[in-house]
Amino acid sequence: MSAINRQNTHIIPVDFQYHQPETVGEAVKLLEAHPDAKPIAGGTDLVPKMKQRLLEPGHLVNLKRIRELQGVEDRGGEVYIGAATKLRAVERSETVQRRLPLLYSCVRSIGSVQIRNMGTLGGNVCNASPAADGALGLVALDATVQVAGPGGTRTVKAGDFFAGPGKTVLGRGELVTGFTVPVPGPDVGTCFISVGRTALDISTISIAVALRMKGGAVQEARVALGSVAPTPLRLPEVENWLKGRELDEATVREAAGMVSGGIKPITDIRGTAEYRREAARGMAMEALTRAGGLEGRSQG
Amino acid sequence: MSHASTLQVLGRDTPRQDGVAKVTGREKYASDMSLPGMLVARVLKSPHPHARVKSIDTRGVSDPQAVTLTPQEVPGIRFCPRLVSTPEATYKDWRVLTDKPRYVGEPVAAVAAESEEAAQRALEAMRVEYEPLAAVYDAFASMEEGAEPIHDVIELNDQALKVERNVACQMEAREGDPEEGFKAAAHVVERTYRTSRRYHAQLETKSVLVRPEPGGGVTIWSTTQTLHNTRILIHEIFGIPMGRIRVVKVPLGGSFGSSIQVNTVVPIAVALALKSRRPVKLSLTREEDLHDHCSYQMVFRLKLGADSDGKLVAGHLDAWLDIGGHQVQAYPLLGCVVGWWVSLYRLPHKSYVGKAVYTNKVPSCAFRGYGNPQITWAVETLMDELAEKAGVDPLDFRLMNYIGKGDLFWGQGPTVKSIIQSCGVEEILSRGSEMIDWYNRPKAGSQRGRYRRGVGMGRGYHTSSAGAPVPGTVVDFGGAMVKLNEDGTFDYVSAMMDHGGGTMDANAKIVAEELGVPIHKVNIVNADTGTTVYDVCTHASRGIYSGGGAALKVARQVKDKIRENAARLLDAYPHALKFRYDPERDQAVIYAEGVSGRELTFKELAYAMRHKNLGTVAAVDSYRQPSCPPHFTGYFVEVEVDTWTGRVRPLRVVAGADIGTVINPKLAAGQVHGGFAQGWSMVVNEDLPHDPATGDLLNRGFLADYKVPTTRDMPNLDDFTVFFTDTYEPTGPFGAKGIGEGALNPVAGAVANAVQNALGVRFYDLPITKDMILAAVGGKEGQA
Amino acid sequence: MKVTMTVNGRARTFDVEPNRLLLNLLREDLDLTGAKYGCGMGECGACTVLLDGEPVMACMTLAVDCEGATIETVEGLSSGEALHPIQEAFIEEGAVQCGFCTPGFIMATKALLGESPEPTEPEIREYLKGNICRCTGYVNIVKAVQRAAEALR
Ligand SMILES: Cc1cc2nc3c(=O)[nH]c(=O)nc-3n(C[C@H](O)[C@H](O)[C@H](O)COP(=O)(O)OP(=O)(O)OC[C@H]3O[C@@H](n4cnc5c(N)ncnc54)[C@H](O)[C@@H]3O)c2cc1C
Ligand code: FES
Ligand code: FES
Repeated sequence: MSAINRQNTHIIPVDFQYHQPETVGEAVKLLEAHPDAKPIAGGTDLVPKMKQRLLEPGHLVNLKRIRELQGVEDRGGEVYIGAATKLRAVERSETVQRRLPLLYSCVRSIGSVQIRNMGTLGGNVCNASPAADGALGLVALDATVQVAGPGGTRTVKAGDFFAGPGKTVLGRGELVTGFTVPVPGPDVGTCFISVGRTALDISTISIAVALRMKGGAVQEARVALGSVAPTPLRLPEVENWLKGRELDEATVREAAGMVSGGIKPITDIRGTAEYRREAARGMAMEALTRAGGLEGRSQG
Repeated sequence: MSHASTLQVLGRDTPRQDGVAKVTGREKYASDMSLPGMLVARVLKSPHPHARVKSIDTRGVSDPQAVTLTPQEVPGIRFCPRLVSTPEATYKDWRVLTDKPRYVGEPVAAVAAESEEAAQRALEAMRVEYEPLAAVYDAFASMEEGAEPIHDVIELNDQALKVERNVACQMEAREGDPEEGFKAAAHVVERTYRTSRRYHAQLETKSVLVRPEPGGGVTIWSTTQTLHNTRILIHEIFGIPMGRIRVVKVPLGGSFGSSIQVNTVVPIAVALALKSRRPVKLSLTREEDLHDHCSYQMVFRLKLGADSDGKLVAGHLDAWLDIGGHQVQAYPLLGCVVGWWVSLYRLPHKSYVGKAVYTNKVPSCAFRGYGNPQITWAVETLMDELAEKAGVDPLDFRLMNYIGKGDLFWGQGPTVKSIIQSCGVEEILSRGSEMIDWYNRPKAGSQRGRYRRGVGMGRGYHTSSAGAPVPGTVVDFGGAMVKLNEDGTFDYVSAMMDHGGGTMDANAKIVAEELGVPIHKVNIVNADTGTTVYDVCTHASRGIYSGGGAALKVARQVKDKIRENAARLLDAYPHALKFRYDPERDQAVIYAEGVSGRELTFKELAYAMRHKNLGTVAAVDSYRQPSCPPHFTGYFVEVEVDTWTGRVRPLRVVAGADIGTVINPKLAAGQVHGGFAQGWSMVVNEDLPHDPATGDLLNRGFLADYKVPTTRDMPNLDDFTVFFTDTYEPTGPFGAKGIGEGALNPVAGAVANAVQNALGVRFYDLPITKDMILAAVGGKEGQA
Repeated sequence: MKVTMTVNGRARTFDVEPNRLLLNLLREDLDLTGAKYGCGMGECGACTVLLDGEPVMACMTLAVDCEGATIETVEGLSSGEALHPIQEAFIEEGAVQCGFCTPGFIMATKALLGESPEPTEPEIREYLKGNICRCTGYVNIVKAVQRAAEALR
């Protein structure tokens, strides 16, 4: 039967067994026991996919009752965010607002209030969409992903977590428990911008930049873009090139040119590859200018 | 407002009668309805853009409660779901279920079961074998020699009609001598314009509930703009006597033209209900709804010529309509396209060739404005260019050439002509241009820098109804009943549908005004086909002009009867009696002036009439409006273009409208606000591209990839000004005209012209996407 | 599976399949059809209800996940004929046209004004951007929210 007759957004046209573990250990056991199981957090990515029959898991393991997966914790040099923490809770957290303004902007740009009341940061990352705004922020902040599985726990750098659209490095029975995000020092400026077709849209293209500055020079740079490659994309060439350079208009312009050339966009319904290359240049100029504290709204 | 000064009820904001039900969630739309013992239906849709159904196997459906329906089980007649044209203008090419699907999503079979889940399972157990046929997605490719025929034979005037080269229908028109006209023109501009396919995105998906009645009849609750035409079509298809078909009014969760025809779900659910002998509900999912209807995509080659003084002298228009897999109302639309065009500006010499072409895409139907937003965008874009060429300010150029009071008007096409009797164009343009500071707008293309601002304008109109002094090929009349209740209140009953604009409230206010009572004395009765006289459809912005015209006609008859009966009871002369309203008693009073004791409240009158067996004061009648007066609109829009991201933002909107007497100020302004939002996103976003690899919509039916504006995409409250002109339409009820479609028609032109003003680049394709803007700013695309 | 939740102030227990959506439970089992199906995919907000006071999309919420939750729908906003000030404001400002989006907007507005009694216009627009209205262009809706905020102060 063809997809057009199988999908049905009135209902979830998939039968599954539902589990509500209360500990990470139980969840791991369930995931391990059922190869066709999927974790569900907010369901804002998973439920639409099931309605479209893109995914038909036989078991759903709800993560929301697991206490350990909840909450934001200020740990001094880093902030810990539980994987099943609602996006709204992340956004409302004073710690995040004060210490991780970049992640705050990324999370605020996800969907609508309703979506953020349901969706979680872990879901945003594990869904592994190249357009995921929260994931982009974590990549740009060089966060670490905490993973629990049958073999115990392990950590993965956010930048290494994605294996392609919808694919992560998680193995069978593994789930993400949380994220540790290093808090940028006072000498770090950040900026996130995204472009969509309307104010409620998956980004056509997005960029997150973090610059550690000394005087007018860049000490360390992180440049990450969304929706321009199969995964959120860091650009080490641009980052290395910027290192040590005086940040002025010419540097910004040249770096932006490198960003535009360094991405690997495709054409899809949201925009053409050419568009993304062109927009990447302008957005990189704005993001670098703002993160570097050059001025609010530079004119090109 | 000089005309409004004597009015009691009209022109004031009054709470809508369905307001409480709507804000408390108690209003039941078709998609909310349910009945005990009801089955839920699902439609089996073609995954192929073009195919022949070789076989349908329902044996896999194991659910004993499930009832399946195949093309062999429905009446084998061809029909047209839109019933407002005379037979010689009605092309029939639809079937209830098809054995030759012509677009992805076309209903091939259906099933009803105990629940949505059960119906879904049953649907998936059905097997269909198809023989795929070549498909075509472009109107021009479709007309080429050797292209796969989409329809071989259709019906016109109940005769078989062979389709040649996939041309569904065509029309030509000509006045004067355009060739000579162009020769005499000092300035000529000719351009080709291409619009997109837009989806109505009405918030409620197409839905119906059908209950089979003892004796072979059916009761129908459905998303529709026309109760009576639904009944006629179900009668035509199933042969059920009309008295046994009852179509009940339910509120519409938006429509914008998408239920101007009887929706595809209606005959399918009727067939299922007749077969299963149980109530059947069929409510489309959003992804099915996106495969069900959209606007007409149009390509225009438009040429206009002006003399050295800036007077238009000649015009030629070629229009190609990509109508998708079936005709809903392509032929009348060909007439309207030329009508909309030639009724904007005076063109002594003009010619037109219009063709409607089948493609293997979702069928097109009316979408607010019925082609008018498309052609007005092209004309308003070209008017700017021609003005520039002639060295005249574009606003002045329009003032020199617009069609207004006293001019011949044939907005609804060559068979619907009348003379314009009221016109606020000058007021719209002068007040609007002042508010936006038109003459100080930026010089086109003068800005550099990242953010560039531009101001543009567009003007237009829409007809209020499709009325005219003589009959043409369009059916357009309505009716109403008003009766005096025993407590002195009135019931107003009409088959007219309210899309949400407050049409029924407006008409109730017209009744109240005429009868001299406050609005709370006029009750809007929920009605059905059995309790109302024919009303064609709520379309063509006719709700107030035509529906209100009918209400007024009947209210006058009621008033006469009140007079006669009161005269008898009061022993007075009817023509000497007067009316007043007594707020203390909350009653209207009829009295003989200066003679004490000779007065009756309406309540007393009704009471006396009942006890003396004099009958009920009531009147019911039909009404054909003598004209279809244009309601004029004009938009001035300021935009900001971000040349780094291609994003366009609306900064300021000034909208003027001539709708004659304003009945509900806030709701009338609401039509303008909503019209702007739709026109805005027609320019910057909306399109329904098809995937040439599969023939399916590229967005596969999901709103995630059909974006409509949100709260944040619209200008701030202080930056959106709406004003109404001081005009009075002599043929309208209390001077009123329409607003619904005129509110949208010129928006796209105004926005596109503002973008041109900001960038110095003109676009000839819609939508003007971020991609196109960046490419153009980079100098790769678009012409300066 | 058994699930117990409080809907508009009344505790209710249901026996549901795990794939049952909250929206269908409300509409079909309780005849609370105020929350609408508009897209089923989180795009339109017509299904907005309050779950423990926060607006969510009922079209993507599993009923089994509502164990112990408090659900408020538009039907629970007013009792008898007296309207809630938000409902009144929507009527007064002409914010209701076809009305299909209205219950979703009203519930989102209730949450907004609970969080932020004096929202600025940009705040209102940001908070309500998950609710689509195809009729009004939002002008009268934003005005209605402002009017309701004033009335509730
Ligand atoms: C209307 C709408 C708008 C949206 N807009 C945006 C937007 O602007 N930007 C954006 O980035 N996203 C957007 N999204 C996507 C989505 O809301 C977010 O990605 C959200 O954060 C997903 O979280 P969730 O908890 O709902 O994930 P779920 O749907 O519950 O899960 C997503 C996937 O991750 C897996 N998963 C979840 N948690 C874990 C875990 N702890 N360990 C392992 N696997 C896990 C699930 O099995 C599933 O495959 C939008 C969605 C909708 C419906
Ligand atoms: S129906 Fe839930 S968001 Fe549209
Ligand atoms: S009033 Fe119709 S969608 Fe909002």
